[in-house]
Formats: sequence, C-alpha cells, structure tokens
Amino acid sequence: MNETASLRAPAHVLIVGGGGTGGALAHDLLLRGVRVTLVERGEITSGTTGRHHGLLHSGARYAVKDKESAVECIEENTILRRICPGSFELNDGLFVAITEEDVAYEPAFVEACLESGIPARRVSRAEALRLEPHLNPEMKLAVQIPDGTMDAMRMPLRFFATARHNGAVIRPWTAVTEIIVNSRTVTGVRVRDLTSGAEEVVGADLVVNATGPWAEIVARMADCDVPVQPSPGVLLAVRGRWCNMVLNRLHPSGDGDIIVPQRGLSVIGTSSWVVENPDDLGVPEDHVERMYSEGAKLVPAVRNAERRAAWSAARPLIGSRGASTGRELSRTFKCFDHAETDGVEGFVTISGGKGTTLRAMAEKTADVVCAKLGIDAPCRTRDTVLLPHSAYYLN
Amino acid sequence: MAELQTTPTHPVRFRVHRRKAGDSGGRFDTFEVPLDEHRTVLDGLVAIRTGQDPSLTFRHSCFHASCGTCGMRVNGRDVLACVTKVADTGPDVTVEPLANLPLVSDLVVEMGAFYGPFDRAGRPLVRESELLPGGERAEGIDVLTRYEDCIECGICVSACPVAGSDSRYAGPAALAAAARVVLEPRDADAPAALRFADDEHGIWRCHVAYECTEACPSNADPGGHIMRLRRAATANRVRRWFGAGRAAR
Amino acid sequence: MSEQRAQTSIPATRPVERRRGWWGWFDPRGRRLGGWAFALNRLTGLGLVAYLYLHLGILSLLARGPDAWDTFVDIALNPLVLALDVVLIFGMLFHGLNGLRVGLVGYGLVASRQAALFVGLMVIGAIVLVVATLRVFA
Repeated sequence: MNETASLRAPAHVLIVGGGGTGGALAHDLLLRGVRVTLVERGEITSGTTGRHHGLLHSGARYAVKDKESAVECIEENTILRRICPGSFELNDGLFVAITEEDVAYEPAFVEACLESGIPARRVSRAEALRLEPHLNPEMKLAVQIPDGTMDAMRMPLRFFATARHNGAVIRPWTAVTEIIVNSRTVTGVRVRDLTSGAEEVVGADLVVNATGPWAEIVARMADCDVPVQPSPGVLLAVRGRWCNMVLNRLHPSGDGDIIVPQRGLSVIGTSSWVVENPDDLGVPEDHVERMYSEGAKLVPAVRNAERRAAWSAARPLIGSRGASTGRELSRTFKCFDHAETDGVEGFVTISGGKGTTLRAMAEKTADVVCAKLGIDAPCRTRDTVLLPHSAYYLN
Repeated sequence: MAELQTTPTHPVRFRVHRRKAGDSGGRFDTFEVPLDEHRTVLDGLVAIRTGQDPSLTFRHSCFHASCGTCGMRVNGRDVLACVTKVADTGPDVTVEPLANLPLVSDLVVEMGAFYGPFDRAGRPLVRESELLPGGERAEGIDVLTRYEDCIECGICVSACPVAGSDSRYAGPAALAAAARVVLEPRDADAPAALRFADDEHGIWRCHVAYECTEACPSNADPGGHIMRLRRAATANRVRRWFGAGRAAR
Repeated sequence: MSEQRAQTSIPATRPVERRRGWWGWFDPRGRRLGGWAFALNRLTGLGLVAYLYLHLGILSLLARGPDAWDTFVDIALNPLVLALDVVLIFGMLFHGLNGLRVGLVGYGLVASRQAALFVGLMVIGAIVLVVATLRVFA
C-alpha cells in the first residue's frame, strides 16, 4: 500500500470524452479510489460509440490474422455477459460460406477460432438454412460462433450509470475550450457548460483524452501530437428483422460483410475511407449501394428492404507517425503518455479499441493513469455487475 | 483514393428552438444548411452545430432509430430526427423539443422524468424473439432473444394529450412497459407491474386517443398494450371477486 | 492549482417543466384521427352537459302555463334555433358513437383497428345526421 497516497486527498482525474472508453475508464478509476470528472460536449455516446452496428464480438473475425485481438475479444465478450446481464441478444452468429473460395477458407478459420478460445462449430447448409431461413440459398456451409447483439448506446451507458452512482461527476453538454498547461504540465481544462454559457477552469491531477476520432484535435490544445485520423465507414439499416443470429461472410474481412439484427431492423456494415474532420464524415451513396449488394449476398431479401437509415461512424485510425510513438496496450488500442511523446506531464491520450473491448481498454488505461499518480490499486471491473442503464438518468 | 461520389444539395431552412438556463422563455434561431435528398433533420442539426453554432445542444447517438435519443417535434410532429428525411419535411423545417418532458436546453429534455415512471414497470430490456418462419434454434441456444421494441424515446409521451394536461399520468411508455411484464414476465415481478398500472393515474387515465401508437417510431403499440393491460386488470379483479386467483393487491 | 478548482462548480442546469396543456389537445400539427376524437369528445361532452341544464330550464317553462310554452315554441321554430338543433344532434351522435369506440377499444376489443372503427362509426353518424337535418328542416 502506497503510504503517501493514503495520506493525500484522492487524486482527481478529468476525462475528456463521453464515449464508451471514457465511461468505462471513469467506472474503473472510481473503484480504485480516484475522484473523476468526465466532460462531454454532446450527449453521452454521441460520437463513434453509439453509431456502430452493435456487434458483441466473438473475436472470430480476427482469429486467422490477429490472434491476440481474437483472444482479447472472446475474453471481453465473456466478461461483458457477466457484468451486463440482460443487456444482450445472445443468439450466437454464423460465418457463412457463399463461394468455393469461402469454403476453402473454413478449415483454417475454425482452427484459428479454436486456438483463440472461441467455440466454433461447423454447420451444414441444410442446418444453416433451418436456423436462418432468409440466408442465401446458394450458401455452402457455415460456422457457428458466440457473436451477439448489443445496444450500442445502452450497454456503455451502464458504465456511466454505475460511475455516476459511485460519485463520478458526469457533465454532458460541456465543451473543453482550453487545456491549461503550466510549465509543460497540464493542470486542468477550461470548460463551457453549453446549457448555460457558464465557463470555468477545472483543475486535475491528470487529464485523459478519450475523444476517439477527435483525439488529435484535443491533443493539439495541449500542444501535443497524436497521429489519429478519422476513418469512417458507412452503415445501413433496413426494415425487417431478417435474422436472429449475427451473419458474417466467411472470408478475410471486406466491405458489407456483416448483418446484425437490431430490434425490427437489420444493420449491414461496413466500408472504409479517410477524412480530415471528424464532424463532417459524409455518407457516400455508392458505399450505401455497396452495403445493399454485399448484404444481399448473405440475405437476398435485404436488396429490396426499405432503407430505414444510412449513416457513417468514424474509427480512430492511428497514422504511421504513431507506429513509432505511443505504447501499444494491445493490438487494438494504444495509449500516448504525453510526458514521453511530447514532454508534457499530466496528460494521456487513449485511442483505438472496439465496442466490445471497452472494459479492457479502460483497465489498461487506468493502470497507466494510476502508475503515473502513484496509486496502487487493482482493477475491480471484471466482476462488478453494472447498474441498469436507466439509473444514469435517475440520480 | 478516388473522389467520393456526391449528391446534389439544396438549401434547407431550419427554425430551431433555443433556450438556455436563466432564459425566461424560448426563442427560435434560423439557419440555412445545404443538404442532399438522403439527409435527415439530424444531419442538418449536426451541420449547424459544426459549422454555424457550436452552442446548439441536442441529443443523438445511434443515427438509426435504435437508441431513441433524438426524439423531437419536427414541423409539429413527434419524430426521431435521425430518420426524418429533409426530402419529406420540405425546405422549411421547424424543430422543437419533445413536449411534456422538462427542458434542459434548446432541444434537450430531461429524461429522468421519463424513467421515473418507466422504471417502476420493471421491464427487462430483452424479450423472447419471434422464430423466423421455418426457423430453428441453434445448438446451445435455449431461447432466441431480442430487444423489446420500445426504444425509450419519449415520443409517445410527447404526443399524448392526457400526458399534456395531467402531470400525474404514468404515460403510455411506462404503461406499455408494464403490459410487457404482465404478458411476458421473464424474471420480473408481474403482479407488481399490474399493481403499478392498475391505478387511476395509470391505465384508467387513458382516453383512447391512440396518438401514442400512431407516433411510435418502433411499432411498440403503447395504446394497444394499455388496452391489453385493461383486460388483464379487469380479469384479475373479476377473479378476485369470485375468490379465485392470486390477489394483485 | 490554487486558482483552479479541482472540481466543477458550475451548477447543473435545472430543467424547466413544460406541458402542452389542454390547449394542446386542439393543436392540429401532428394530430391524427384518434387525437381529434379525443379532443372533440371533451368538447361535445361539455356541450351536452350545458344542453342538459338548458333542457331542464326549458321544461320548467311547462310549469308556467300554456302562454310561456307557446312563446317558447315560436322561438324554437326559428331557423337559427333549428340549426342549433342540428349542432346538438351532431354532438349527441359524435359523443355516443365515439363513446362506443372508446368502450370497445378500451377493453381491448377491436384495438388494432381503432382508426378504421372510428371512420366507420362516423360514416354511420354522418348518414343519421343528414336524415335528421332533413327532418328538422321539413
């Protein structure tokens, strides 16, 4: 036990960014005895977090090319089922082979899944069509894996609800207008409450930049460099619940190769390009068309299904500059301790990650944050059941 | 990378309700935004906040009618902004916050007032999923599940004439949630949900305007659920009068 | 850190209560059939209650003898009053027929076709109203 820490008042960490990462980090830090304030300029999860198709990842998509990510996914998949009970559609998923090339990919795929700890079961064409009657009748075979569906807003909201209940100060509608740097140390941020126009400076022992594709813009406010570029992809929601299981194309990844059921809709994703401004992503119509055509290869009926919505969500793409800087906390997310990368103390950026790995990302970031603050406290989020999402609104 | 395909845009005039803390009343600000035919009211609001007025506050998250956060009154109708196309609203769009819920700022309403009664129904988020025609369950899956239709957007509360004039009314969302518990209890407390709903400020306060069902963006049919709950409540009372069945009170 | 507070002191904005109120019942924007049925039911209900008092008042004239009654009948045959009679009949028909709908739907019967039921009952009511108007003015 760190004696100095026990005599000091609890450290205060200010998190910028109200996405899944920020919420999970707030929750983790609170359980380690840290005081947390989180500021978000809009509604919680209104950045990238709320927009994804809602896949509860089994990791199967990564198994062949990136085993480390696959293992991380299936571990977090299991943990989330435990700490967020009642928050998922748990109908498993199918990786569907449409062409002979897909069929040839199957043995390596199944082997890689099993090696990563992902249960995988070969399913014949006849059985697959009985399980999911709207599948392309030309499909050849399928593999069943433990994918699931999450509500992309409500699942992360449980972290916020629990953090708020445990004493975190969560302030949406609060924009950071300035990062205060004194002698190459970040000591706080200037915030503006957009519901009132009131402004003030809030001090902190450490500021965490958890703003996803906005990471570079925010880091520059502290004179730091984070090579994160917004890389959006298009998603398409059509009317009709065409499947209960998540449907994936059995091939190394490509555009439009997943269909996720979301209530009475089916969400088809995704594609990929790069933009400069994370607030102006665009929704290229030819990408939307590609979702229709690729989705129809899995489920022909989506071709004529009515468009409910077409939108874009931006992944934070860590540029080549970042290949040599920053610390890889895992294959899917990275932490930039700006004391090391830019000579600015008291400021950390966390970037990357997937919807399913938010808790792991928070754990590793909290480890870094606590190490910097001299706090010795273990992570307790693996086994702490979270409050229901509605508790966020009922303080 | 090849040039992204672009679609021709047209100017759309937005008249947006504004109100900040300490203001004595609301006002309207007008903005003009160039948008193409596929774009929605929400795309317009995001463009306004990004390019014209960063102080504009509004709720949104999923962009596809699943999170329920972007409920607003657009040209007088209660809708989700993310699926309301500007091609359908026309070039003049008036945007106001949902009615009958407390206002925080601009278009943001306080959802605590929604979840207060809603949570009392005790309805789980997940229900049994319909088996697709000819479908089966996969190995290891005992029950197919899916999310409840209701996305907790508050549109039904905004559209309800009774919720507009009676602050004690539980509201269509909370009552429909209670109906779902009674119809499919899962591990929830069905008698408690019935007790909550079978009340003068609950299901008996509804006057069958059915604006809730008409406005619901997710086919949750709150009006129909209130009626189903009335049958259940009446049947329960009749049973108790005749001494049979478990008392709900 | 002495000038900077290590926590935010900006108070959370207090939400402002807003309800559309009973005048919102008559706001045509976004209003569908069922909402109009509700609003009109309130109006016709109030109208019928007011008429009830008027009717009792008129009947009390009977107690005042033939002259008072004859004067009343003269007024009652005035075309303007006859027109008001038609309004009264509309109110009775609407309130009664919509009430039938509310009763049926309100107990979970025909709930899924409530709008169609409303239209059907109003068509019946319209026919009866036309016949009644013709007879009133005959």
